[in-house]
Amino acid sequence: MLRSIRFGEADRVLHLYTEQRGRVGAVAKGVRRVRSRFGGRLEPLFRVALVLHEGRGDLCTVTSAETVHAHPALRERRASLGRATQACEAVLRVFDSAEPNRPAYNLLCRQLALLDARPEAATRAQGLAFRMKLLLAAGFVPELAACSACGDREHLGAFSAAAGGVVCPGCEAGAFALDQEAHGFMVSALGQPLAEAPLASEPALRQTDRAIAETLEYHAHVRLPRLG
Amino acid sequence: MFAPPIDRLITEFARLPGIGQRTAQRLAFYVLRLSPEQALPLAEAIREVKESVGLCEICFNLAVGPRCRICEDERRDADVICVVEEPSDVIPIERTHEWRGRYHVLGGALSPIDGIDPEDLHLEELARRVESGAVREVVVATNSTTTGEATALHIADLLRERAPQAAVTRLASGLPVGADLEYADEITLGKAFQGRRAL
Repeated sequence: MLRSIRFGEADRVLHLYTEQRGRVGAVAKGVRRVRSRFGGRLEPLFRVALVLHEGRGDLCTVTSAETVHAHPALRERRASLGRATQACEAVLRVFDSAEPNRPAYNLLCRQLALLDARPEAATRAQGLAFRMKLLLAAGFVPELAACSACGDREHLGAFSAAAGGVVCPGCEAGAFALDQEAHGFMVSALGQPLAEAPLASEPALRQTDRAIAETLEYHAHVRLPRLG
Repeated sequence: MFAPPIDRLITEFARLPGIGQRTAQRLAFYVLRLSPEQALPLAEAIREVKESVGLCEICFNLAVGPRCRICEDERRDADVICVVEEPSDVIPIERTHEWRGRYHVLGGALSPIDGIDPEDLHLEELARRVESGAVREVVVATNSTTTGEATALHIADLLRERAPQAAVTRLASGLPVGADLEYADEITLGKAFQGRRAL
């Protein structure tokens, strides 16, 4: 469950990301009432198994809900809750079609489970590692092995979203400086499991954040807030 | 389809929450059937409420004049504050007759996805009220939703920093009276267990 919006007297409109049908919109009737049978399960960050009725409109109607994972612990910690909300927001903005994307679905499930299980995972570095993997799942992962303009594999010290990744000094028009640490962080974030997100200094994380944001803005026309 | 004044009335009714085009039409025809003595008080009541009701300068609850009735009531405890999201949340709490303190209405809940950040809520005013030193407890009664919980955690951190003398508490969470256990969701039931008390 990515997002829930109040609707009518006691209903909610839900933005869901599903394994088999990508983004799905649904209305859950009467769930804001205290006595609702499944209102408590239809909150953002829940992983749920739903039965949906497909009517004539754009929105399905929720007829049954079972909890798969409630992630109760992360709701008790501000940092974890913040990172989990950021993860849902990223999926909400990047994946807006009904086309399923199983890697993205699995990635979000793992991220929420990780934030629930490990308070120390709620860091900026881990949030950026999640976003790097999300870029990969969405097909927007930047070129990091060679200059994305000329293919040179040496002296890669800048990043250009327009060129599609890291660039060499000869091709860096319109690029921003990306130091070796940031470059290394991006490569490691893609290669390592979510739970083993690499560490990096603040400047390196800031550069990575900018590289991800500009990539999404340029290629997916999606503007994500920077991770604080 | 109708004369312009009727169309306008239908359009205005249809803007109300939960009112669709067909219901708006039915309400408009009901108003048309009323005598002027029956219909005009409705228009007058809407005009009056818009002209005279604003927000309390202390707690941001609805008020006729600069302060709401609760903030003006000297019998209410001024050293305990209950924080709610919306003015409509004050009503169910007042109905319990359990709360004799004052309120602070935030004007919503934190929701970065919807662009609602701390600056958009009356959080700074809450911190200023509490750090004045006269408040000993702040009860956070935001909704038991993800955004409500995020707001509660934010308030706890804010007040720990700005007014450490004040205790910050959260409304208990558990099973509604009369509910069957088998229909309870895992988080509610879990919280009910955490908050169990001796009999």
